[in-house]
Amino acid sequence: MPGLRHTKFASLHDVELCTQSAMGERRAFGELVRRHGSAVRGVLRRMGAQGAEADDVAQDAFLTAFERIAEFRGEGTFAAWVKKIAARLYLRRLQRDRRLGAMTAEAIEDEADIVHGDADATIDLEEALKALGATERLCVTMCFGAGLSHTEAAEALNLPLGTVKSHVKRGLEKLRTRLAPEDGVVLEGRRGNG
Amino acid sequence: MAELDFELRLERLFADAPELADAGPFADRVERRLDAGWTARRWLIGAAGVVGGVIGASQLMVSNLFQRVETAGDSAQLLTTSVNSSLNHITTGADWVATVSSGGTVVWAAAGLAVIMMGFVLTRVIGEI
Repeated sequence: MPGLRHTKFASLHDVELCTQSAMGERRAFGELVRRHGSAVRGVLRRMGAQGAEADDVAQDAFLTAFERIAEFRGEGTFAAWVKKIAARLYLRRLQRDRRLGAMTAEAIEDEADIVHGDADATIDLEEALKALGATERLCVTMCFGAGLSHTEAAEALNLPLGTVKSHVKRGLEKLRTRLAPEDGVVLEGRRGNG
Repeated sequence: MAELDFELRLERLFADAPELADAGPFADRVERRLDAGWTARRWLIGAAGVVGGVIGASQLMVSNLFQRVETAGDSAQLLTTSVNSSLNHITTGADWVATVSSGGTVVWAAAGLAVIMMGFVLTRVIGEI
């Protein structure tokens, strides 16, 4: 009765589901996938993965997370933890397929294609990210979407820290020109991003 | 300050991932892969148990177990004969012991059963874990 099982787990908090998953309860983990699958796939798509590839990597990320669930200490959210795993797996795949090097090389050519959009226009994040070069997009998404620090992103991308910071800075500048201003921004403190 | 505002806003935008239409089927696929991995693991460990059992049984055979059992059977027969001569009323039970002890088929059957049992028990234990 899979339906009943899902109902049973639907009322539990992520932390409880993680505890049950650590005891080998696969249905509890399935509930976590149900809750956070879209967010993980979303991050991968924003990093530049196409639909099917994003889904493959997300599946692998969840399977890896299940294998290593005992290592999850609950210091951050479960979703953030899986996003980091997924981002690293995607980068590993890019490196394996020798696509990462090509992306990094393209970054220089992208400089000529900077589009200064109308700041008043309302463009969603997906559209705005398209204005970024491949590496900028990777760096920005890894740092702001997957929650990696600049240092972690530099290690994962095998790039110097300064280069990653430059990509992030340029990416943010481009995004700022593309995204419409927002009303009612609440300041909650700066994220510790090394 | 504007930079900080923008970074916070960007974090919120990234966090607001839209729920994809196939979120349910995606989770089902992950669960199926988890189940498949688990089933494969059980089969693998069960098979390893059977192979281990076969090796163990063959080692028992190689170590002249047959001969030892037959010797024990002969001794049992001798004992039975002597017991029979003195206690005629328990012959039925003693004959059974002698028959069983001298049969090599029984050892093979016992070894086979042990292998099956070992595989079964291992599979169940893994299932419980």
